Amino acid sequence: MFRHLSAVWTARHFLLALVKLDLRLRYKRSVLGIGWSLAHPIAMTVVFTVVFSQLFGDGDPVGYAAFALAGLAVWGFLRDAATHGSRAFLTNEGYIRQSPMPYTIYTLRTVLGQAIHACMALSVVVALLVVWKGDAGVFVGVALALPGLLLALVAAWAVATIGAFLTAFFQDVAHILEVAAQIGFFLTPIMYRRSVLDDRGLGWLVDINPASLYLSLIRDPLLLAGIPTVAQLGQLGQLYLSALAVTAVLVALAAGVVSWLNKKVIFHL
Amino acid sequence: MAKIELQNVSITFNVYQQKRLSLKEYLARGLFRRSVNPVLRVRALEDISLSARDGDRIGVIGHNGAGKSTLLKTLAGVYPPTAGTREVDGNICSLFDITLGFEHEATGWDNIQYRAYLQGETPSSIRAKMDDIAEFSELGDFLNIAVRNYSSGMQMRLAFSIATAINPEILLIDEVLAVGDLAFLTKAKARMRELMGTARVMVMVAHDLGAITEMCNRVVWMEHGRVVAEGPPGVVVEQYVAAAAAAAGVLPEAVRAA
Repeated sequence: MFRHLSAVWTARHFLLALVKLDLRLRYKRSVLGIGWSLAHPIAMTVVFTVVFSQLFGDGDPVGYAAFALAGLAVWGFLRDAATHGSRAFLTNEGYIRQSPMPYTIYTLRTVLGQAIHACMALSVVVALLVVWKGDAGVFVGVALALPGLLLALVAAWAVATIGAFLTAFFQDVAHILEVAAQIGFFLTPIMYRRSVLDDRGLGWLVDINPASLYLSLIRDPLLLAGIPTVAQLGQLGQLYLSALAVTAVLVALAAGVVSWLNKKVIFHL
Repeated sequence: MAKIELQNVSITFNVYQQKRLSLKEYLARGLFRRSVNPVLRVRALEDISLSARDGDRIGVIGHNGAGKSTLLKTLAGVYPPTAGTREVDGNICSLFDITLGFEHEATGWDNIQYRAYLQGETPSSIRAKMDDIAEFSELGDFLNIAVRNYSSGMQMRLAFSIATAINPEILLIDEVLAVGDLAFLTKAKARMRELMGTARVMVMVAHDLGAITEMCNRVVWMEHGRVVAEGPPGVVVEQYVAAAAAAAGVLPEAVRAA
């Protein structure tokens, strides 16, 4: 596994050049260019503040907008990293057939691109919180959320890699993931608060949902008001422990899949 | 020193008559042991041993589907051997499936970068080579537009220019020289002779027997994934032509002329 990672490191120039290209191509020939990555969440903020906060909010339209926007950004990252990442071997077949690079760089290409995109949306959330609340404590939240983002990135890379290997054998996997993502969107407290489910005795749905784990890991510290209390830090620490465990399991699974299918996958592309 | 060492390498894989196996099909087969999408076992390479050292220029000939390209991809490390061992020392450059590995939406300049990185260059090491590559490809202003707009000949020019600019220790070529126009072909042959002059290993697959005899000092004749004969170009090409003529029922001269 460490040999594999060092091979990925050797390919970093190739990888980063392609990630940059993906970002550029995403908004090719549009006037705003990469600005769309910012314009989209800003437009969403307006809708959330004006409309959705009436439905789900608790009398704090801007707070709700930040909540929903952060949720959508993280969820969008997890979903797209998994579903697009699962097709990575099919879309990068040209390189795979030419060069013996480690296959995981192609899933990492997708995951990194999506992560940068999500970070731009999250930066809108941070800007919104700073401007609206005028609270420098937001930056403490950012510092607390960053390791969570990193964990989510590693986990998403692992899931995308597993998905990509399986998709090479059964294309159905990519479709299954898309359906699962659609269902997951409604079962995860993204647009509504966790308490909605807790009140109806459905809190366990959240507890067994790894996506909501990464979601709270990144969103909760961002939305903290002011300097976190000891209790809040303790809660966050618990979240981090669970996320570390889940990430470790996913990475172990991915490593297993890679060593199992690495030499077979090329014949199935 | 560059080195290639294949020992008793075999490659066998399963293909399905329909392109891909579906999950449904997989489960149904597991449950009922009856398949509507039978497996074909392909023996692409069987028990191939090949060794090459500095200065070796190996030509691989054989009919279509004999396993020539599979052999090349095995040497490149793209196909892992299912049996036997592969040992390759040296920086490999492979010229096959050329039009596949382009980012079609990116410009020629960008693609020079990506492919050079793919071949193990770093940002600082390619900076000096970019202009050489551009000049050799003769694509001029076309390098500023997306590769999507290139003809296959232009893509070949670009790919060839990039691949040969990095002074590879091991050069693997599959039929690429067939695509370019006459002027570029002459230039490419000169560049390859230059590369061979630096005493490294080259393996090329071609149907152009003239080019093989001219450029290689050893020829491998493959059929059905096996090596039929190996030796100096004159001898092996002669045998190959004779066999092809016998199969077609014509004189060897007729095969050569065609």
